[in-house]
Amino acid sequence: MTCAQTHLHKVELQTKDYKTDTKPFWCPGCGDHGVLTSVYRALSDLGVDPNYLVNISGIGCSSRLPYFVRSYKMHTLHGRAGPVATGVQLARPDLAILVNGGDGDGFSIGGGHMPHLARKNINMTYVLMDNRIYGLTKGQVSPTSQRQLKAYTTPYGGVEEPMDPVLYMLTYGASFVAQTLATNVKMTANLIKEGMEHRGFSFISVLSQCPTFNVVDDAKTFKGAVEELPEDHDVSNIDAAMHVVNMGHKNGRIPVGLLFREVRATLDERMADLVKQVGGSPDYDLRKIIDLARP
Amino acid sequence: MDKNDLIIRVAGEGGEGIISTGDLITQACARAGLEVYTFKTFPAEIKGGYAMYQSRASTEPLYNQGDTFDVLCAFNGQAYDLNRSRLLPGTAFVYDGPGGDFEPDVPPGVHAYPIPMTVTAKELGGIRVKNMIALGALSQLFNVPDLPLREIITAKFTKKGPEVVEKNLTAFARGRELAAALPKTDPWKIGVPTSKSDSIVLSGNDAIGLGAIIAGLDFFAAYPITPATEIARYVARHLPKRGGTLIQAEDEIASISQVVGAAFAGKKAMTATSGPGLALMGEMLGMSFMSETPSVVVNVQRGGPSTGLPTKHEQSDLFMAIHGSHGDCGRIVLSVEGVEDCIGLTVEAFNLAETYQCPVLLLSDGSLAFSTQTIPYPDPASYPVVERKRWDGKKEYQRYAITDDFISPMADPGTPGGMHIATGLEHDQAGEPNYTAANHEAMQAKRFRKLDAVVKNFAPVEVDGEGESDLGFIAWGSTIGVVREAVARLRAEGISVKGFYPKLMWPMPVEQYEAFGASCRKVVVAEVNYLGQLAHFIRAETTLRPESYTICGGLPFTPAMIVGKAKEML
Repeated sequence: MTCAQTHLHKVELQTKDYKTDTKPFWCPGCGDHGVLTSVYRALSDLGVDPNYLVNISGIGCSSRLPYFVRSYKMHTLHGRAGPVATGVQLARPDLAILVNGGDGDGFSIGGGHMPHLARKNINMTYVLMDNRIYGLTKGQVSPTSQRQLKAYTTPYGGVEEPMDPVLYMLTYGASFVAQTLATNVKMTANLIKEGMEHRGFSFISVLSQCPTFNVVDDAKTFKGAVEELPEDHDVSNIDAAMHVVNMGHKNGRIPVGLLFREVRATLDERMADLVKQVGGSPDYDLRKIIDLARP
Repeated sequence: MDKNDLIIRVAGEGGEGIISTGDLITQACARAGLEVYTFKTFPAEIKGGYAMYQSRASTEPLYNQGDTFDVLCAFNGQAYDLNRSRLLPGTAFVYDGPGGDFEPDVPPGVHAYPIPMTVTAKELGGIRVKNMIALGALSQLFNVPDLPLREIITAKFTKKGPEVVEKNLTAFARGRELAAALPKTDPWKIGVPTSKSDSIVLSGNDAIGLGAIIAGLDFFAAYPITPATEIARYVARHLPKRGGTLIQAEDEIASISQVVGAAFAGKKAMTATSGPGLALMGEMLGMSFMSETPSVVVNVQRGGPSTGLPTKHEQSDLFMAIHGSHGDCGRIVLSVEGVEDCIGLTVEAFNLAETYQCPVLLLSDGSLAFSTQTIPYPDPASYPVVERKRWDGKKEYQRYAITDDFISPMADPGTPGGMHIATGLEHDQAGEPNYTAANHEAMQAKRFRKLDAVVKNFAPVEVDGEGESDLGFIAWGSTIGVVREAVARLRAEGISVKGFYPKLMWPMPVEQYEAFGASCRKVVVAEVNYLGQLAHFIRAETTLRPESYTICGGLPFTPAMIVGKAKEML
């Protein structure tokens, strides 16, 4: 395997050095403030050089996060942060890639991309900011909304079952899966940090309350439902990870912490190997390729 | 008599070796120094169905697939039935018989050559050599160069071992003997080239892949779709040699998104698709325009709408290529005439994308995609390759700075001080969201006015003919090659006619259209679609009021059709 290029260029910076002049536009009490604080902390703990950091998002309240982080960044289309980030990462494996987005962005409109980010093991950190509702469009049910949630387009209560992003990502083959709570900045910052250090696709689901539109899943409810993983949880055991999530569904608990981690080759590493295998180089004589078309 | 321009059509059941027979004829002719131009149709299904491969060979340059065949080689009854109406007096007809699945009722005046292909193949130990017997017969009867054929057959089967090579060469020789035993009654023979130029033979799709690699392609995002997939096949094979990579995405939305991501990261990136895929890319093309991130998208058009005629020829995506995205969304649209253009204009597509930081669409079409043509050996050094304007590191960086030419230098990630946001939101010069009236008007003007220079600096329009004329034909894409030949034939008959062949479809080179219109008494736009899409844009953007001549039967025009139209109008 080709030796991994570093994707974390380091500098010594303070938390404040990652802040931009743009102030967050989120409502007071929104969980996204906690996620942003955690991102600042994770970046400064790691000492990521912002010149080599690309923060990418889709559309939604949480997708505004890159505006507040000093870095190169892309604010893309609804659901498309993942594939855009894939392009950036494969083009420049030396960059650190941080993706932020909401539950609708990632698991409804962008849901078709998630399996492929995971199974291809694209080297990026995907921070899902799950408020279980569409906030920017003023409160419609999302794929993670509790059933019977009364919202903008469900005046009599929702009629669909919610999905669990973490369970999906474990199934899709993500090499790093964690869950945390926006109000727990310490845990969230640590998991983001670990995720960014991980070479491969790291997925961190953050339960991030929407005090304005989601009356069911508020900060207090989230806090009451979470349960830290047992100390002897084996992060290398995919069955154990799935079991603990499934058990949580049965008894109404949300496991938080690092659920699963494995080290395996990333797509950029495999592509570098492929280029090496064919002896590829930008100096390869074009005429040798053209000559193959001689009759 | 040598006919210095011979068209041989091989037809039969898909899977019987029709395509490889046609390929061998084409390769052998090209190796002997002849010019070739091929045309294929095949079913949308993998096995079975009617397949056809037509090779046109000449000692003179060729621009299209021709009117109809001089020689038909039918492997089965269906091939005969489908082509019977074109078996005109004087044509030659080689068929499987006796012992084939049909007994032709040969039309009067047709030179028929029964070759027992199936029976002989079985005698020689297997039906799989049926096409070699046909090839031998064609080679004997019409002077398809014998030595190059043997060389190519040998090379083709060498990997499978000397026995397989021998078996195929034996069948080929037997086909020649069978044909030699028949009296030759027709006058057709492929001409012998007097000189041999340095040339290559490529399909339209492969040539686009080659053009991209010459342009400095770093990253290709693919999603399979007929008739564009061969571009990805070519790139997947050759790009890694130059250190680049290809990713197969989960859908076309992902592939264009990856292209935009890779281009933001400072690389040259592209994708290739057909109409259904381009329809899915519309939103991200808007982001490419809005965020001024270069993207190159090849669209190999096929019959539409919806799933349409997936393997057939049509030129019906011009509306979508030019305006397919929400909002006022700019882009540059090029279209290729033939294989040579597929190289040169693909390089140009990258140069334009890098220069103007916008989406650049390159339109090809179903018949060109699979058409193989002889072209002069392309010297890679002869193609100018342009890199994007990058920030010089002086003064404070503003990603969307309004400059004299409205082009704002870019900064690759990793450039100290170059941090910025690429966003689909309306933004100010620094990239910060800004929805004020004044800002939106100023920034839209910036994004569009930079494109004003495109027509000034790059407007490849060829005008065929000089001075005043009774009739002017306008054509785009592979229809140009058909019109070229029709115009030459009409002139040879003393008819005053001109041709106008645009390669830059958008922005439109309006002045050049106007000048052409002013020099012709009547103007006709010939294109393979129902609505007359280019004619529509000409009426909208210029003072010309052309007549629209359209067909949409899944096949290209023939020169004879254009000649007929001209005579009808004069």
